[in-house]
Amino acid sequence: MDFATLLQLLINGLVLGVIYALIAIGLALIFGVIEIVNFAHGELYMLGAVAAYFLTMNLGIGFWASIALVTIGAFGVGIVLYELLLAPLAGQGFERSILLTLGLSMVLQNGAMFLLTSTPRLETTPYSYRFLVLGDARVPLLRLFALILALVAFGAVYVTLHHTRTGKAMRGVAQNRAAALMVGIDPRAAARLAVAIGVGLSGLAGAALAPVYSVHPVMGFAFVFKAFAVIIIGGLGNILGAAISAVSLGIVESIAGGFLPPAFVDAIAFIAMILILLLRPQGLFGRGVRV
Amino acid sequence: MRVGLSPVFAATVCALMFSATARAEDPIQIGASLPLTGTAAFFGQHSRWGAELAVAEANAAGGVLGRQIALDPQDNRCNPTEAVKSVSQMLSDKKDVAILDGLCSSAILAMMPLVERAEVPLVVANGTATAIVDKSGAGGNKWVFKVNPSDGSLADALVGYLVEHEKDKAAKIAVLGEDTDFGRGGAQALDAALGKFGMKLASSDFYQQGTPDFTAVFTKLRSEKPSMIAVYAVGADVQNIARQYVSFGVGIPFTGRLLTDLVPPEIMASGALDGSVVAQAYAPEVDTPANHAFVDAFTKKFGKPPNLLSREGYEAACVVIDAIKRAGQADPAAIRDALEKTDLTSILGAQIKFDDHHLAHDYAVILTVKGGKVVIAALNKT
Repeated sequence: MDFATLLQLLINGLVLGVIYALIAIGLALIFGVIEIVNFAHGELYMLGAVAAYFLTMNLGIGFWASIALVTIGAFGVGIVLYELLLAPLAGQGFERSILLTLGLSMVLQNGAMFLLTSTPRLETTPYSYRFLVLGDARVPLLRLFALILALVAFGAVYVTLHHTRTGKAMRGVAQNRAAALMVGIDPRAAARLAVAIGVGLSGLAGAALAPVYSVHPVMGFAFVFKAFAVIIIGGLGNILGAAISAVSLGIVESIAGGFLPPAFVDAIAFIAMILILLLRPQGLFGRGVRV
Repeated sequence: MRVGLSPVFAATVCALMFSATARAEDPIQIGASLPLTGTAAFFGQHSRWGAELAVAEANAAGGVLGRQIALDPQDNRCNPTEAVKSVSQMLSDKKDVAILDGLCSSAILAMMPLVERAEVPLVVANGTATAIVDKSGAGGNKWVFKVNPSDGSLADALVGYLVEHEKDKAAKIAVLGEDTDFGRGGAQALDAALGKFGMKLASSDFYQQGTPDFTAVFTKLRSEKPSMIAVYAVGADVQNIARQYVSFGVGIPFTGRLLTDLVPPEIMASGALDGSVVAQAYAPEVDTPANHAFVDAFTKKFGKPPNLLSREGYEAACVVIDAIKRAGQADPAAIRDALEKTDLTSILGAQIKFDDHHLAHDYAVILTVKGGKVVIAALNKT
């Protein structure tokens, strides 16, 4: 394999990994703060993509404006989701949250199928077939934009969590809910914000990737299962761990894809997840530094 | 006691008579196991619409045997387990006189033993795996009939065309296909067809259905430089393949079973796929009066133009309806016997007659892409 091919695989892997991270971070944040595994995360990503598709292709709204609108809308959906469905679950057992989010996932997926049919759609933007040349490698502009948006979003989440009072409150709730309450933090407000940010990130991912991948009701399935593997590998609820695992997985998958059949490449994430569960159940970066 | 028996007996006879009358007026029901949800739902929907059009036309013409026909579509999610579940339900209800489709080859192969045990005909409209034909008819499952060409027939027609017109392109073909009986069966059939001319496939890559990202495999193929990339994909996968193919400047013509009508129009018009040569069982542009009538009727009824799947669903339903008519009764065994004697003209103009392996031999449509447009290069008998 020549250097140009290796460079292209490396760049592809980096972009793919950051895309995984964008989806996985929201999942990790929600679990980290309220200890609920959101099985509907893939469908929220799908709804983000569907909304972006209709904003751009039906209403003529620009690519960047559609991303901003969908992200804000998804943030709002996150607040409603928390208040209507997740908050009443507080302290009611892990299995209830699994059933609820799984049920929500089915309702959203089949609802989209019913309303939109299963016809796959492609969002077309002025950037759709433009690319950047790096030596012998090329990076499609839309993937580069997704990479930049993901890095900005991750930076914003990181700064919020570590350098703002609101973020510190979320981390406090994640680490010890009772103690957080005792020092005057409102756990419900912190949890609501965490869910809103998590769902907002899934909306951002959907809107940024709508012109990259085909938009259809089951599009969330492939990415969200990778995201589950990523957050288990990184340590459930550990955002930095999820980000590092996601980028590493993207790069490993891409390089392996240059040598192995695609079906084997898909197995890498799940083999790694099983090994981590067997050898280091707390994940590579552990749960001690959650959120 | 004797006094009491008469009214009971009369009531029972009346009830039986009423029930017999009701049955005679019930529609004749044809089952259809299709992916109505999941990654192949788009295709299942089109196949269902095709069958619904055939049923609507038959009903508008007065039905069959004095009764209306009803379609009983059940979801199989393109999954063999779900296909078994849906067909088991149909067979246990004993209402369907024949079953259409399966759509996905893996689902059809799973359904085949069930219909054989229950002795109900299964008419395959869309699945193309050669294994379906190998296991049907002489020495195999006599209840399965296949209306559309198999992968083997299509691959022979495709390679025959390439060898005759563009032999250098057939020399080093790489396969990119979904990891199903459709993808793997297509690759095997293409390899076997190339083998008849002393050639073989350069490589095969199979991916899980619904995979969104093909960047790694395209990077690999770009460095290996095959003469063509044979695609065996359905639904959203085709769009993802087409867009990433252009974004990464792969520049190697496509072949195999690429569904050109699913390629985004702007990609097709850009000329990026020029030089591609694919074999399909149908193209809406085929110039026959029957096809024009079908395209018009389909577009009018569903508001969308038909595709390969819609046409195959339509044709298969027409074959079943014709068999019921000739059987003279809505009995699965009589319909099976009538299916063996099918002699219909397809909308492409070929005769639909089943061979020893219950495969009909319609035309393969060889499509080429020139100047950003899909052109019918040949209609080859399969």
